[in-house]
Amino acid sequence: MKNFQKNLQKLEASDTQVLGVSMDSPFANKAFADQIGVTFPLLSDWGGEVTHKYGIYTDKYKAARRVNFLIGKDGTILEEQIDNEAIDPTKLVAACERHKLKN
Amino acid sequence: MRKAVSSALTALMLLAVLMSSQLQAADKKPAPPPPKLKVGDAAPDFKLQYFTGNDLKDVNLSDYRGKKNVVLAFYVFAFTGG
Repeated sequence: MKNFQKNLQKLEASDTQVLGVSMDSPFANKAFADQIGVTFPLLSDWGGEVTHKYGIYTDKYKAARRVNFLIGKDGTILEEQIDNEAIDPTKLVAACERHKLKN
Repeated sequence: MRKAVSSALTALMLLAVLMSSQLQAADKKPAPPPPKLKVGDAAPDFKLQYFTGNDLKDVNLSDYRGKKNVVLAFYVFAFTGG
């Protein structure tokens, strides 16, 4: 999440809202956000309904996998990054800037 | 006595071989399948909450429709890296 914070200005400049999601409680997520200096919302999928809906629940962690989705203004998925490749948002930032040019 | 010791040793060695092959099998587990949703699919709408410090706020994916792109960054647990 820290990596997204570092790139937040670039992402916001490309009309992009960053939302973190985990199955932690809203209060744990707020404490986590404060601890690592994240200013975008960390949403709480308490119970995992959305994690299941997006098909990324994993028994290994009993939680979500590390996945980024870039969703366009029309509501379709433009980019998807899974597990280790989801940690570095550079590609995602580039994709946002590209899509901005298209819009 | 000597025989007992050597058979115990053999048993231990067998056990070690068995355990190491099991460990290797665990390492070779295939990568989990990719998510069901693919690029080009419609992102399912959702309503989730976050804590602002004062109260809980609702966020719907549809709030951003026609206004902004959205990066949904799923992470495993709070207080972990990545």
